[in-house]
Amino acid sequence: MNEREKPAPLSELDARLRDARGKANEAAGRTPRPKGATSGLGFALRIGVELVAALLVGGGLGLFLDRWLGTTPWLMLVFFLLGAAAGFLNVYRLATGMDQSVGYGRNGTKNDGKKGPGPEAG
Amino acid sequence: MAEKHSPLEQFQIKTWIPLEIGDTNVAFTNSALFMALAVVLIAVFLVGGTRRRALVPGYWQSMAEISYEFIANLIRDTVGNEGRRYFPLIFSLFMFILFGNLLGMMPYSFTFTSHIIVTFAMAIAVFIGVTVLGFVRHGTHFLHFFVPPGVSIVLWPLMIPIEIISYLSRPVSLSVRLFANLTAGHTMLKVFAGFVVSLGAIGGFLPFAFVVALTGLEFLIAFLQAYVFTILTCFYIKDALHMH
Repeated sequence: MNEREKPAPLSELDARLRDARGKANEAAGRTPRPKGATSGLGFALRIGVELVAALLVGGGLGLFLDRWLGTTPWLMLVFFLLGAAAGFLNVYRLATGMDQSVGYGRNGTKNDGKKGPGPEAG
Repeated sequence: MAEKHSPLEQFQIKTWIPLEIGDTNVAFTNSALFMALAVVLIAVFLVGGTRRRALVPGYWQSMAEISYEFIANLIRDTVGNEGRRYFPLIFSLFMFILFGNLLGMMPYSFTFTSHIIVTFAMAIAVFIGVTVLGFVRHGTHFLHFFVPPGVSIVLWPLMIPIEIISYLSRPVSLSVRLFANLTAGHTMLKVFAGFVVSLGAIGGFLPFAFVVALTGLEFLIAFLQAYVFTILTCFYIKDALHMH
């Protein structure tokens, strides 16, 4: 099918796949993934959670290391910033649809039939 | 509950049977009661549903089969065939969270998934399990997880800690997501329900309509959050197995 013409952009293929899968799901009586407002809300909340979680972990790790090594406040400051960076990284991955993999495994999972964006809601 | 008028009162842990082993408090609380209830209900639901094993399933058997197939398909779609061996874990997680959420939708019940220690315990169990799985499968090669490809060695000291923090933040975000959704939803329900009472017969209809709508939304969230927790677990397992 793909050889017939110029291959469509992956994102378009993705959308079509998702459509087809949604229809198949409906036919099979499975619950379709909720769309619209809830999904957007879930996505927004998820971004917030990812950002804060990484910050918490970074700050907490720094605090713990400080207590242990007696280097208050330096490590905490450093790890807080690293945590912020990790948070941004998480959000970036989530937004570009690589959220399920640590590292930069972009497109590595595309060909086994699973689309990028992961769970959109939540 | 009504006399206090606090929307947060529903989350209070009440000790029912005080019990201590050594210095550890292992009292039987309302939280423990509902967890036990969830497990019993799941067992009844599945065992009862598959008891007859009819070729043409009835309602009950259909529901049991649908929940089984739902998770089986989820695992096949995300992890692949290798993931089948983790089906018991993932299915138990899903059913436990789902029944916890749904039990919480009953009036006067207690939602154990609205306590972060419960969700965090599940998330950290998944996290540790996945990490161990990764190391067992790939040995020290699993550490390549934390080295982004295509980044020059100069940046490694910066990127590796960031990757590690990003990895460590997984259980936190996994647990906070479930906990926050459930807590916020149930609090909101109580707040709007409180408006119904205080506005009385004159203006109580509007918040009442809201409560009805929110209840529907809460049922959706109950399913959705169980699903999200499950699918993220699947993704983590897939990551550990395949490491892209």
